[in-house]
Amino acid sequence: MASRRSRLELIFDILLAIQNKGGKIKPTHLMYKSNLSHKLLNNYLEELIRRGLINTEEEFSKKKQKSNKSVLITEKGLNFLAEFRRMREFTDAFGL
Amino acid sequence: MYRLFYTPTWFNGWDVVFDVVGLIVCLLIAAYSWRVYRINRENKFAYFSLALVLVALGFLSKVFTSSVLYFTPLRDVVAEVLQPFTGPRLSFSSLFYRAAFFIQMASTLAAWIVVFFVSQKARARLRRFHEVAQIALFAYLLLLITVVSNFQYYVFYLTSAVILGLIVLNYFKNYLNTNGNRNALLVMLSFLFILFGNFFFIFVFLSTSLYVVGEALVLIGFLILLYTYTQVKRRKD
Repeated sequence: MASRRSRLELIFDILLAIQNKGGKIKPTHLMYKSNLSHKLLNNYLEELIRRGLINTEEEFSKKKQKSNKSVLITEKGLNFLAEFRRMREFTDAFGL
Repeated sequence: MYRLFYTPTWFNGWDVVFDVVGLIVCLLIAAYSWRVYRINRENKFAYFSLALVLVALGFLSKVFTSSVLYFTPLRDVVAEVLQPFTGPRLSFSSLFYRAAFFIQMASTLAAWIVVFFVSQKARARLRRFHEVAQIALFAYLLLLITVVSNFQYYVFYLTSAVILGLIVLNYFKNYLNTNGNRNALLVMLSFLFILFGNFFFIFVFLSTSLYVVGEALVLIGFLILLYTYTQVKRRKD
């Protein structure tokens, strides 16, 4: 069985899921892609918004007559992804 | 008479340059490891950073004593400063060199011990209490060997080579565990070169040329480490 993900790994998985969807994703899709519960995901999304790593936007759908919420990754979020990849490479290279 | 310097005359100063390169490489990687520790708060990165700072300290001590030996102006200044301790006409100057060598030995051996422990995977470690006991035993042996090495130059490099051998083994396992990660291979190779360098230092009493070979091998090891570090820092995808 895979070990529990650390907090940073969870953040990485969330941001990676958004990046893989072209930088924009619906919360429900994000929940499945990042393999998190709804409550846990919301907690992390709040923190990521607070830290400026993601943004949310709402689009009004004329067809469905309701607004759709999307999560977008910011430039800071992309930088975090790059930095985390470097950290992971460092960890693998030096056996830490 | 106890001998500490085996540099051929033509190599005077070049070993200082080689050691400065090693010192800079250690500090660069130590700084990045500390930065990673600040982000994820995992102690192993702090320990690794500390280990590399200790290696840098060992290099600094060696660079300083070698520079004092090779460069007369520096020797004059140091002699002036240390005269209260080294006595009239520097009659006890050997104490200065022995003390500096002790610092080099203690910090370098301590560094290799720490690198050995952090490069082990968690499942290879014993339970917590036994791990503390293991570290305490190593620390005692380290202190003992450092004291003994103060009388025998080659004992230090022999001990260093043994620990480096274990480190190379750990990094070989790491290379296999990371499915042939190129950077993991480079780290293993770098420590292998440093290990080979230490082998030559053990036998330096046979010929001073072996000292040059040893220094060159250690330099190559640290240059590979520097290259690996730049590769890690360049990674974006």
